[in-house]
Parts: sequence; structure tokens; C-alpha cells
Amino acid sequence: MTDIDDLRSKFLDLEFDRTGFVIDAEQSAKVAKASGETRAEFTDTTDPNFEACAPILASLASGRRLPIDFPTLGGISMDGGKAVACIKPVRPGIKLTGKTHLHDIYAKSGRSGRMIFLVSRMQLYDDCGEHLATTDSRQVIRERPDK
Amino acid sequence: MTVQTIADVVFGDEITPWQPDTSLQATRSFAEAVGYSGSGRFEDHGKARAQGLPGALVPGIMGMGFLTSMIHRWAPQGKIKFIDTVFRAPVLADHDHTVTAVVTDIDEENGEVVLDLTIQNEQEETRVFGTATVHLPAAS
Repeated sequence: MTDIDDLRSKFLDLEFDRTGFVIDAEQSAKVAKASGETRAEFTDTTDPNFEACAPILASLASGRRLPIDFPTLGGISMDGGKAVACIKPVRPGIKLTGKTHLHDIYAKSGRSGRMIFLVSRMQLYDDCGEHLATTDSRQVIRERPDK
Repeated sequence: MTVQTIADVVFGDEITPWQPDTSLQATRSFAEAVGYSGSGRFEDHGKARAQGLPGALVPGIMGMGFLTSMIHRWAPQGKIKFIDTVFRAPVLADHDHTVTAVVTDIDEENGEVVLDLTIQNEQEETRVFGTATVHLPAAS
């Protein structure tokens, strides 16, 4: 069985990826409209307050999903959820840098066995180093009984 | 029902439930825009079933979009500071789903409201749940 405390001590809070992004305004507006958004600051690219919507921020993917030396846990991996913390408006067209680390590792046990949760946190910064937003991706792995 | 300021918010209030567009056309459009298209799992029921899925899916982050859209309609001046969504089970495209939210906390001093969020299918099974923290202007 995977030692969760050992994984936490070795991997939490260590940056393992740094990726650059530029969000396209039309793409963000399309995502917002397809989700039923009606506010102009998310759907109208000519709005002076236009900003990237939460789902497009949540879609930004780091170059690596896990640290390069993270052990293979086996089992089936699933997308367990996403979170977005909006600190300042993210304007499309600007250069962004996403710095990613493992924020949390924990396990839950149920009738069908143990599930391991890996929370990858990406902090998004602009070119001036200002922190604009944070996204969390929750990966769930159903552990194989023999692990 | 909409709210303009923090003073309009009542603890326990339920935001007017909403049925989002989960059509294949909508999921395809969303998947294309976020770069998820190509495999067919969000665009084609047959291709999704061939992958062992019960049908084409609504992308998880599209569910987040449904929830943020509803919050923005409820609070036209509100700013979502944080939203967390847990993908409990697949949301199937072309099936009716209902998006709901309930006010679970009000912090008048900081102008913040906490909402509990759910997306349920036709059988009233919760497929997505989560929370959001929304900042609202103070009453003038």
C-alpha cells in the first residue's frame, strides 16, 4: 500500500513545472458563451473590462502532470475536480507564467478500496510577477488492491 | 431573483435553479475552445460509447462554467473570488441537468457570500458539487 506520509514529505510544495500561456480572447469568450455566461466582461471581447472566465483558467495545463520522479501508483486515474481562485482579472493576450506544485496528497477509503487524491496547484503570474489567479486540479487514483 | 448588494442576500436562500444547455452542439463548441476535442468523448455519443463511456460527456470544467454563469446572473455586480467543483460522476450530454446554489454563509464585514453548489441529473443524482465565495458591493 502506498505510504501517503512518505509521498507528502517528498513531494509537497516543490515546484515541478513552469509553463507559459497566452489566453486568446475569442477562445475565452467562446468558452463563456458555451457555458451560458451572459455578462459582457466575459463574453464581449470589445468590453473594456473583458477578462478570462474561470473555466478557461481551469483548462490551463502544466507541461507535466506530476513531478518527474513521482512513483507510479497504478490504478485508474480520474479527473476529480477543479478549483479557481481569482485574485486579479486575467486579461487575454498577456504573457502568463504558471508555476505548479503538488499542494496536497491524501487518501480516502471506502467499500471499493482506497482512493488517492493528488491536488496540483498552478499559480498564474503576469510578466511583472504579479499573482493573478490560482487553479487546483484534483486527480483521483483508485488504488489497486495489490498495491 | 437577483441581488445587487450584500444587504440583499438572505442566509439559506436558494438561487433560482437553472437548466443549462448540455446539447452536443454546446459540448462540442466548449471542447473545441478549450482544446479537448478530437477524441469524440465530448462530441459524439457513438465514439464515447466505444471508449466505454455511457455516452458523450459534458466536460467537467463546463460544469464549472454553468455554475459561474448562474452566479453571475444572480449577482450581476458580484465577483467570484473562489470556486471549487468536485466531479463526483459524469454529466451526460443531451440529458437535462439542474444547477442549484444555496447561500450558506454571509460575511457582511468583508462583503462575501459562500454558496453551496450542485449539478443534478434527471434522477436528482448529484453529479457535481462544490462551493463558491462571491464578493458583493456594500449597500450604499
